Amino acid sequence: MPTDPRPVPRRSHVSRRDFLKRTGWGAVGTIPLIAGVSRRRASAQPASPYPDWMPPSPKPPKRGKLITRASAWDPPVLDPRLTNSVGLSQFASLTSNRLVRYPFSDEAASTTDLTLKGDLAESWQGSPDFRVWTFKLRKGVKWQNVAPLNGRELVAADIKYCYEQYAKEGVQAFTFQEIEGMETPDKYTVRIHLKTPNTMFPQNLAEPVSIIFAREVLEEDGDLKKRMIGTGPYTIKEHTRKVRLVLARNPDYFDQGRPYVDEYHILSTPDAATRLAAFRSGQSDILFVASVGDAAIVKKTTPAAVIQEYKTVQTVFGLALAQDKPPYSDVRVRRAISMAIDRQKQVDTLYGGHGILGWGIPYFYFQDKMPTAAQLGPYWQYKPAEAKKLLAEAGHPNGFETTLFYYEYFPEMSSQVQLVQQDLKRNLNIEIKISKLDYTTFYGRYADGKWDGMAWGFKTGYATGLDEQTYQYMHSKSTKNYWRFSDPVIDELVTKLRQTPDRAEQRVLTKKVLDREHDQVTRMWMPYDAGFLVWQPYLRNTGSLALRRNDGYGASTLARLWIDK
Amino acid sequence: MYKYIARRVALSLPVLVLSSLIVFGLMRVMPGDALTALMGESGNVSPKELQKLRKDLGLDLPYYKQYLIWAWQMVSLNPGDSIFTNEPIAVALKKSIPVTLELAVLALILGLVIAIPIGVLSATRQDTSSDYAGRVAAITGLSMPDFWLGTLVITFAAIWFRWIPPLGYASLWDNPWTNLQQFLLPAAVLGFRLSAATMRMTRSTLLEVLREDYVRTAWAKGLGERIIIYKHALKNAMIPVITLVGGQFGTLLAGTVIVETIFALPGMGRLTVEAILFRDYPIVQTNVMLVAVTLVTLNLLVDLTYAWLDPRIRYQ
Amino acid sequence: MAIATAPTHRFDEPVLLPISRGQALWTVIKRKPLGMVSAALILLVVLTAIFANVLAPYDPLSAQPEIRLAPPSWAHPFGTDDIGRDVLSRVIYGSRISLWVGLLAVGIGTCVGMVVGLVSGYWEGRLDLVLQRLMDAMMTIPGLILALAIVSVLTPSTTNAMLAIALVIIPGNSRVVRGAVLSAKQNRFVEAAQAIGCKDFRIIATHILPNVTAPILILASIWLGNAILIEASLSFLGVGTQPPTPSWGLMLSSTGRAFMEQAPWLAIFPGLAISLAVFGFNLFGDTLRDAWDPNLRRQG
Repeated sequence: MPTDPRPVPRRSHVSRRDFLKRTGWGAVGTIPLIAGVSRRRASAQPASPYPDWMPPSPKPPKRGKLITRASAWDPPVLDPRLTNSVGLSQFASLTSNRLVRYPFSDEAASTTDLTLKGDLAESWQGSPDFRVWTFKLRKGVKWQNVAPLNGRELVAADIKYCYEQYAKEGVQAFTFQEIEGMETPDKYTVRIHLKTPNTMFPQNLAEPVSIIFAREVLEEDGDLKKRMIGTGPYTIKEHTRKVRLVLARNPDYFDQGRPYVDEYHILSTPDAATRLAAFRSGQSDILFVASVGDAAIVKKTTPAAVIQEYKTVQTVFGLALAQDKPPYSDVRVRRAISMAIDRQKQVDTLYGGHGILGWGIPYFYFQDKMPTAAQLGPYWQYKPAEAKKLLAEAGHPNGFETTLFYYEYFPEMSSQVQLVQQDLKRNLNIEIKISKLDYTTFYGRYADGKWDGMAWGFKTGYATGLDEQTYQYMHSKSTKNYWRFSDPVIDELVTKLRQTPDRAEQRVLTKKVLDREHDQVTRMWMPYDAGFLVWQPYLRNTGSLALRRNDGYGASTLARLWIDK
Repeated sequence: MYKYIARRVALSLPVLVLSSLIVFGLMRVMPGDALTALMGESGNVSPKELQKLRKDLGLDLPYYKQYLIWAWQMVSLNPGDSIFTNEPIAVALKKSIPVTLELAVLALILGLVIAIPIGVLSATRQDTSSDYAGRVAAITGLSMPDFWLGTLVITFAAIWFRWIPPLGYASLWDNPWTNLQQFLLPAAVLGFRLSAATMRMTRSTLLEVLREDYVRTAWAKGLGERIIIYKHALKNAMIPVITLVGGQFGTLLAGTVIVETIFALPGMGRLTVEAILFRDYPIVQTNVMLVAVTLVTLNLLVDLTYAWLDPRIRYQ
Repeated sequence: MAIATAPTHRFDEPVLLPISRGQALWTVIKRKPLGMVSAALILLVVLTAIFANVLAPYDPLSAQPEIRLAPPSWAHPFGTDDIGRDVLSRVIYGSRISLWVGLLAVGIGTCVGMVVGLVSGYWEGRLDLVLQRLMDAMMTIPGLILALAIVSVLTPSTTNAMLAIALVIIPGNSRVVRGAVLSAKQNRFVEAAQAIGCKDFRIIATHILPNVTAPILILASIWLGNAILIEASLSFLGVGTQPPTPSWGLMLSSTGRAFMEQAPWLAIFPGLAISLAVFGFNLFGDTLRDAWDPNLRRQG
């Protein structure tokens, strides 16, 4: 096996600092940790009263006790092949592992530290052409001591089986179908052959949805809907639908000594006011709030609560247009609409200055600091007169009528939708009829891709890796491309991106993708604030890192949490 | 008497059949498929897989066949599986019925315990300040949306007392104390509206009855007020009240939908609403039929109580 | 809502009483202060709805996000909402929506229910049997659930919410009307008219309808209040009125609850408006009953 000349994440040989420097991610690693320093730009997100970084506790961790959380999400199904839902990930990330993972809060250098770490894999290496990836598994990892696994050892064949199943059917298929074949030369080695080169393939395996599930369960039950058995730090002790999920500490977990907390209870609480009340009365230890105002309210009644700003690095929502047909197929119409919406005003008013203007790729993948308004391109600026001219040029001098459907994920979204309605009416004479739908109707209609007019659309919220954010979401052939655009320039760029190993070049390419997106207004991103996390004061090692909210997709980090009581 | 009972029962059956047709029809006419709900927050499912799923769930059969299959399931007490979770509906029902039943019964008791004495008071002291106070309180109860009252209660319990009913439903048999704590507040919120309506009905029917000739005679004979009210008048006044309560039970069950959502109780109301929003046909159909059967039975009991209380009715 | 009285045989009683309905109502309103209050409240709601565009100081849809969530002040007596719209103007226009919802829902529900009840009660027989079973079947489905299912079928909007509520109202109304028709039919005048050979239509119009209008109007008054509440509950469940329509129910259930602690005025004023309107309608129904119920009317 020829030695690989280029720098490669080999945990055993390279220190973190060296690695960061060599692969060009050094800048990320040295981002100042003091809140506010990088946020001096006018339109970049100003600091909130709360830190966006929770340093790990210097005290030695204590074992025991239990944490509870009143949760908005009841998992629809337990089968990771059939859903990306956060309802599943909020605990699947704790019952199961992935081959690789991102840092936990007590090992990360900063909130945007995305150094890949081994989870079930100890080390990994890519071939020079990035088509063959070899993973060496940890030895002695045991499946949970529950029938039919009964604590047997995890072997390479288990990984191979999982990935084959993912490729066969379900929502992960697009990601795993690029696997041409897999080999397990020995019990602890998995070698994966890809159809086309991908320098970021391991990152795809680190996504919270790529968990390793048990073959025996799938073979016995025929599906994974009834039982979830993994190799993770917690086992499912009890699952009562619509009531609670009880996770219990796995004593055989391979990360010796961890997890610290004995039990984690997730209580199904559909109403937001009730979740807040549960936190206040001490029945819930973790709470998410969407705005600065909400955080202030909690702080007022529970002064001891610890609040962290969940760092906003991208936006997940935007104005989706049926752009495969007129009038939105005309790029001038899209540009006009984008210029007619006052994004800065939304940030200043709805988000109290604490939101971002809206872009669709986490900024640290292409630059160190948050983009300023100028960097987002001419069509992201508020220029109503020019917009009107452009729309007239495109053949709609008097505007037109259209519809917009959405689901209220959080209250500020309704405010945004109505402000957009007003902006477009005033500036372009576009009349929008709004339909506020329930979640299922909204999701079904949106994902179906046959709707007309406009929608307040999204990209799925779990993606951390760059390949997922670009190729998987933006390629015209991808099943996750909800925005119904097909741009050969973007196709070319994102394909080239995943074949580019050099980080600096990746940044340049990523910025090009963003620029192209903003030039063609393929996805009209809207202002957004990622919100705040609130914890009871006796929790330690709680911090949520960017793109990995620890009450949701980033739940795996709760294995490092402990209670100081 | 038996003929009366037999006739009433015979009349109930077509009602149930009609109910089943209505709810079945409504479900099938809804836009959006149960299958789109299955996609959850996932990506697209291929048309081939959708087709297979549709076939597995029997959704590609003609409507009348689907109806007959379901009707047979109902009659044989075998409701089948949920489209969404693949779990047997019977299991979900076994867990959720006790919750809603307990909530409804507690609400009923609380409501009546408050309402009837106040109604009596209002009637006997008609047009005095206590009458006005009672009527105003009752109408306030009828004027406030359930969800608003529930939200206020739970928010201010947390702020003022740092206490809310413990989350995570505990059954009455396993843990009676926790269970009582969990159900008291939601039952009170639910029962508030019922007590308002009952109070007003008690007042008005009692007023009517108190003017009847036989009551006048009792007054003239010199019987005490308490005997007149409780021994003679109330029994007859109760007839419309019982009808009202029977009728309100439907509203009560509807109200559980909102109260269960706010207080995080895993009852039938919440199950039904979420099933409607998820287009989970089997659950909605089964639940609504269950409620229909309950209400029809209740109406039957009400009518029978009627007949027992008022002999004139039996001989119609 | 079933009002049942044990059917009794009444001996000959004149249908017409010495004073007219209107006069009876006015007397009751004058005498009982709660009656006066209810009439005043209803008048307030109706007048606000009619003169909304004169009374409202601002356009209820015009958003000024710079002044969002502002507490009540001279410029905005009820404060501003989550995108800076004037809450007072929205509450004023909301009376139009609520009245519209109530009147249409109750109007349709009452008319259809009345027709069904009349047909059922007058001709009886097999038609009656079938219709009443159908009505019973509809009543076995709890109102909110039926409304939710119907709105889900039709896609959420204010109009569809109204239609759903109308469907919920019909069965109860038809039952009451049927009962009133049955008891009116026992009147000797009706027997006589039938014996002479009067056309059915004439009999219904002259003898039956007057007896039916009283219970209908009483029920309608109470259902007007209920319709507003059901619309609010549908909005809470996410399937009612659509933004940016200023309906009280939407204001209370969405922004009112979401900003309950940051900006309580967003909930207080629409909530108060709902309560007062429903209060007024319910109380008015009581007053109507006090004025028109033949049993109580004998007291003068």
